[in-house]
Amino acid sequence: MTDWNAMSDEDFRREAREFFESEYPPALRYILRRARWHEMKEWWRKLYEKGWIAPNWPREWGGMGLEAGKMVALLEEMERHGVARAPDQGITQVGPIIMQFGTEEQKRRYLPGTLSGEFIWCQGYSEPNAGSDLASLQTSAIRVDDEFVINGQKIWTSLADDATHIYLLARTDRQVKKQAGISFFIVNLQTPGITIRPIRNLAGHEEFCQVFFDEVRVPLSALVGQLNEGWNIAKALLSFERLNIGSPRRPQYALHRLEAVARARGLFADPGFVDRYAAVKLDLEDLAALYGGFVEQAKRGEALGPEISMLKIWAMETWQRVTDLLVEVGEEQGVMPGVQDVAGVKADFLNAFYYARPATIYGGSSEIQRNILAKYVLRLPG
Amino acid sequence: MTERLASRSAADGAHRTLLADSVTAFTGRGADIARARRLRGSSEEYDRAAWRRMAELGWLGILVPDTHGGLGLGLPEMGIVARGLARALAPEPLVASAVMATTALAGGGSEALKREHLPRLVAGETVPVLAWQETAGAWDAASPALQARPLEGGYRLTGVKRFIAGAAQADVFLVSALADASPALFWVARDTAGVRLELEPLADGRQFGTLTLTDALVSRERVVARGRQAADALARALDYGAAVASAELCGVAERALEISLDYLRTRVQFGKPIGSFQALQHRGVDLYIQKELAGAVLDQVLEALGEAPDAASRAALASRLKARCSDAALRVTRESIQLHGAIGFTDDCDIGLYLKRALVLAGWLGSATQHRRRYVALSSENGK
Repeated sequence: MTDWNAMSDEDFRREAREFFESEYPPALRYILRRARWHEMKEWWRKLYEKGWIAPNWPREWGGMGLEAGKMVALLEEMERHGVARAPDQGITQVGPIIMQFGTEEQKRRYLPGTLSGEFIWCQGYSEPNAGSDLASLQTSAIRVDDEFVINGQKIWTSLADDATHIYLLARTDRQVKKQAGISFFIVNLQTPGITIRPIRNLAGHEEFCQVFFDEVRVPLSALVGQLNEGWNIAKALLSFERLNIGSPRRPQYALHRLEAVARARGLFADPGFVDRYAAVKLDLEDLAALYGGFVEQAKRGEALGPEISMLKIWAMETWQRVTDLLVEVGEEQGVMPGVQDVAGVKADFLNAFYYARPATIYGGSSEIQRNILAKYVLRLPG
Repeated sequence: MTERLASRSAADGAHRTLLADSVTAFTGRGADIARARRLRGSSEEYDRAAWRRMAELGWLGILVPDTHGGLGLGLPEMGIVARGLARALAPEPLVASAVMATTALAGGGSEALKREHLPRLVAGETVPVLAWQETAGAWDAASPALQARPLEGGYRLTGVKRFIAGAAQADVFLVSALADASPALFWVARDTAGVRLELEPLADGRQFGTLTLTDALVSRERVVARGRQAADALARALDYGAAVASAELCGVAERALEISLDYLRTRVQFGKPIGSFQALQHRGVDLYIQKELAGAVLDQVLEALGEAPDAASRAALASRLKARCSDAALRVTRESIQLHGAIGFTDDCDIGLYLKRALVLAGWLGSATQHRRRYVALSSENGK
């Protein structure tokens, strides 16, 4: 297996750029939505064959074990070329969790298939009555002989209809403090008793789903980590998620569109526009500095503390400011659905705008992130 | 190669920690601003004894090569000192003199002037400041109006320089001028015939100087740089000045936030500390995010500035930094007044002094809006 870290940063960056240019499907550049599995399957296979599916995983499990500088180069080249995010929750989230908390058997069973694309993962956390107050979740897993029986309902599960497996939080003890009675499970979505129903979002996409569990029987080996340890596991995973969400990559997509449209409309000659553009451009550049600090910290193997919440807030709010401005410079075309042609520049204004809307809601809303920072970082009284 | 880099960065870490400790010892652990209060509005503006102590600690020589008696360190180290001093609102002209005038002199072409004055500057014996600006809002104007007419053995300088920070106790001015339609920098002693200095008060109790030169005679030996070299030295001095002023803005923001968070934890209304109210918690968090963001940009840019490949990318970096830190410090200090309520609007409460320092640092060396425009003009095809 190639040791990518042995390459010089420049060589690695060139390799990445050439690879994306020659292999990435042109129709999927800058798509401004979550890509579906059927669209990304072929690209996944190419990444897999190159050994580039999991830049963040250690090499012993087939990852790239990429050091910080090259990770940034890879992300930058993906962003530059407009490479969409594949259904990658297995890589970014459940993979690292299985490595940290799973048994040897779970690692052998799930990690190789997650890399190859045999297993596609979705996340079962939120419930209709457990959103910001996630710990009050009611989906239950009750041990009956050598099985757990799961009952309940999950919601806002992204791309569940593309997934083969779900990782979920379920209540395993009702007698203790709400956070202390939750466990972490991995479940094959083919298991009898599971029903998936897509939900149409504001953009008109069926990106997230409801997932119903009705007497779903899973083996004891579906439990990851210790019983009732699920909340801590999920929290460990949330900091991975916040680092990933905090990447400047998605706002950069939108900024590139903004720049292209602004050039096509001659807006860089308008000082009023330039001032507003400069503000969002620098919000994004400075986000990269903030992000870089957390990446360095993660790469040194240090745990990411509650400070990571500020990265999510700033990244998502910056992203929204960029897309707000994008719709505005689209003028009349900015409110017309679909890809618009602005003097030869193609832009899907509304899709970009809609895509950024839920960013301050999912993964812990911006208000919840502020609560976390106030309590655990600023140590303000409760 | 990697090993050398690793050991260099370990050494960097060690001496930076020592530096930070010495600044904390200098200012008092809680960033004591009693000295700043005492000196504000005084005609001396700052404390010459404190300046000499700063020299003894080596801080004035951080950017001076060791061949001229300095420490030969870089902007990250100067940033540590500036940030720490700003926490205590130190009034000394670290940026104006130890960064800007020093960088301009060191970047000049006169080896004789450097040999004679850099060691004196490091020792705190000579305090020069840069006098380059002529019009409000034109801090980086390429071409000065101040004329230097050549004559036998030297030049006669005529014109006006304004908004000169650190002028109150400066004994030398590095004056930018146009000589034969080409930029030049002159070493002008304060007591030169034909030089008049007036001082005007600033919001933070310090002063700006206005320097009027009327046929002031400066000998050829006092030419710091000419032509391209003068323009380059000045541009570098301004970028470094903006960068280290940004470190001061970070120090101001950081300390103002600490003071305000302490207030939120202790001030009781409705039977509870006001910091327990979500509306105020979220405001506090937003200020914290601005402070952290500014700090992240500061660390990144101070490391990168000294190794910028060309003047345009150096200027773009400096502008990015000054824009962020100005906005962050202004926002933190303005909202800190609000978090304090009525007491925050009194002169007795320290928080207002932080707002005033932030105002001055944000308004000096280019406002956030100016820097954002310059960044766009320099950094991409979009500006052209």
